[in-house]
Amino acid sequence: MRGNSLLALNAGESGTVFGIVGNQLAAKRLADMGFVRGARLEMVRPGAPCIVRIDGACVGLGAGHQASIALS
Amino acid sequence: MTGYRDTRLANHAATTDGTLASPMSTTPSPDVLNPPKTVALVGNPNTGKTTLFNALTGFRQRVGNYPGITVERKTGAIRHELGETQLQAIDLPGAYSLNAQSADEAVVLEVLSGHDPSSPTPDLLVSVVDATNLARNLFFTSQLLELGMPAVVALNMVDAAEAKGLTIDAEALALALGVPVVPVVASKGIGVDSLKKAVIDALAAPVTAQCPSFPACVCSELDGLCESVGHADGECPTAGAPSERAALLQTLLDPGGHHEEQLIKRCGVRLADELAQRRQRIADSGESIVEVEAKIRYAWIERVVGDVVKRVRPPRKPRTEKVDSVLTHPIYGFVALIVVMTVCFQAVYTWAGPLMEAIDGVFSQVGAWLTAVLPAGPIQSLIVNGAVAGVGAVLVFLPQILILFLFIAILEDCGYMARAAFLLDRTMSKLGLNGKSFIPLLSSFACAVPGILAARTIEDRRSRFVTIMIAPLMSCSARLPVYTLLIAAFIPAKPLLGGFIGLQAAVMLGLYALGAIVAVVVALILQRTVLQGAAPPFLLELPSYNLPTPATVLYRVYEQGREFCISAGTVIFGVSIVVWALGYYPHPTSIAADHEAQRIAARQSAPSPEFLDMRLTEIDRSEAGNYLRHSLLGRMGRWIEPVVEPLGWDWRIGTAAIASFPAREVVIATMGTIYNLGDDQDENSIGIRAKLHSASWPDGRPIFNTAVALSIMVFFALCCQCGATLATIKRETNSWRWPLFTFAYMTALAYVGALVTYQVASRLI
Repeated sequence: MRGNSLLALNAGESGTVFGIVGNQLAAKRLADMGFVRGARLEMVRPGAPCIVRIDGACVGLGAGHQASIALS
Repeated sequence: MTGYRDTRLANHAATTDGTLASPMSTTPSPDVLNPPKTVALVGNPNTGKTTLFNALTGFRQRVGNYPGITVERKTGAIRHELGETQLQAIDLPGAYSLNAQSADEAVVLEVLSGHDPSSPTPDLLVSVVDATNLARNLFFTSQLLELGMPAVVALNMVDAAEAKGLTIDAEALALALGVPVVPVVASKGIGVDSLKKAVIDALAAPVTAQCPSFPACVCSELDGLCESVGHADGECPTAGAPSERAALLQTLLDPGGHHEEQLIKRCGVRLADELAQRRQRIADSGESIVEVEAKIRYAWIERVVGDVVKRVRPPRKPRTEKVDSVLTHPIYGFVALIVVMTVCFQAVYTWAGPLMEAIDGVFSQVGAWLTAVLPAGPIQSLIVNGAVAGVGAVLVFLPQILILFLFIAILEDCGYMARAAFLLDRTMSKLGLNGKSFIPLLSSFACAVPGILAARTIEDRRSRFVTIMIAPLMSCSARLPVYTLLIAAFIPAKPLLGGFIGLQAAVMLGLYALGAIVAVVVALILQRTVLQGAAPPFLLELPSYNLPTPATVLYRVYEQGREFCISAGTVIFGVSIVVWALGYYPHPTSIAADHEAQRIAARQSAPSPEFLDMRLTEIDRSEAGNYLRHSLLGRMGRWIEPVVEPLGWDWRIGTAAIASFPAREVVIATMGTIYNLGDDQDENSIGIRAKLHSASWPDGRPIFNTAVALSIMVFFALCCQCGATLATIKRETNSWRWPLFTFAYMTALAYVGALVTYQVASRLI
């Protein structure tokens, strides 16, 4: 399922981060907040912005960031 | 500067064992003079850092600004009974990483590295971490520990972690991190004394922080970069310090970030090529530039946390998530938001009303008393009409501001504000704004000053500035009296849409809508012109809901109220005096003599005492009006008459408009004086309505009609007639450029708006 982005997850579905793709503004910020290869994510509320759970914390993510998080 | 002593050693170590800043030891020299030691509080947002700062300093704080940027700086003395060492704390803005996208975000590293000229170089840092969210908080902590300065970790909210079924072995964590770890509950003051003790002990102890090891390719490129930069600015005393190294790591690993921009500004474009080459070599060795730091640190954190955090109970669905299933819902969430905002604004208007009337009453009584006590003349007039009225004009808004900030502080402290920002981001981002722009803009319907102050919660500088620039376009409560007066006097009370809404109400609604719609257009233009650049996409951790801490909330309300009184008060006061002088001088004696003669004549011929009283009041008012007409202000009004004539205004309206530039609420009182009605007019006085109806041009045409009333209202809706707002913009943007810009664009907009309104309306009606 490589190449899927976070946009493809429905509410309640989980995924594993493959990496950050594209030349997204503030991509390093995204990585620093834990969106790195191997991190487990759960989609809490899909949409733009969406809410994902990572490491027990809920993070709101705008559409631009969602598209640049690739899932494996 | 003790932390930087053996920097070279650390650099050397980094090349051999792959550690960025290896464990090192420094002993601070015994200080004979014993100056206070500075302790910096650093941590992620929503870790209770400010609550801890309040608990440590006991609210004895000073608030300032960092020069050139827009982040507020708080310092305060830490009181303790643990020996002679004096301690002072700095509260740094919350951050997730040393990585910075703007100068505002870079302030943490600037202060910690001693580069910020306005702050003392910290001697120790306290990394505040949320125990319920330990792993994510340790990312920033691990960056901080590499700065090579003494550090203590404050493990906050341990009670909440226990409630979640987590136990954290503080001793094991201290061992793994190589620095003392103190469990605290800042909101209840638990562990604060132990924290103070740990800070004092750590100031005297060697630095032994543990840090993750980076891949060899990153280390060697970072070493090379440090060397190139060191050559480029050899005189820089901190070149090669661990903090410099930390900044260069962020430069190397964040293409296009703030640190890269700064470095190229400092060392020239040559470095841009070098950076690109070094990044290429890291990428060639199979590491992702933006991800490598996070990968290494999170892997390290996983090992640290694995031995330290024990789950004693399986996780249940936390309360926060149950609440969020409603509050972030696309429909129920909006309903809840509307309810919250309605309650908030209802409170602002209804609770503040009686208080505002009381303040107003006190000031007019003080004015009346002073008028009676002081001898008539310029001093009396200066004190009563300049000083007392000026201070009153500021203080009358204080109740609204305090109530608004009470709500904002509670909503923010409990965690709801992040949800409101989440819900509104989609709509606001289309306007180049941010989900967090909504609250400041909504607050501006009460008063732009607290609205602009509330924009501090927006991290993205560009969105924040756009928000600040358009906030004064929202129709604030000071515009309401102008609308009320002119609508009641000149807009017929006709039913519209089959009686669903009256014409008067529709005009009022239209004026509110006008401000908001123009604001949207201005926001769209601003982000394509003077505030260009893409806003970073929404990225916000939604904190767990907490009960707000009353002390923190009340202190924040107090701080904002004080700030309003100082920044707005001084300007409004100063400008009130200037306008008073313009309206008072030259005060020719001929007018007084003329009216005195009229008084004598009236006394001699009055048929009854009641009639005399009436006649004398009339003479007083005519005298005041005459003075104003002959004053500098009146002359200015006449001088600009050709400019305001196309708006349908005569010189008297022009004068009233000029007088209300410092504070628009004075317009009705000024119009009252200038039309010889006395300055005790308010929007509901029958006298002023009748007088406006009868005012005429020299050729006998009436001045006021529906088109003129609309033109005045549009002017007031769009114009920035508020010195307090401009002073607040200056303070918040740290430059005169933005208040001048706001003033210029709004005045131009108001003139054009009023011109179009009059020219169109006078032809249609």
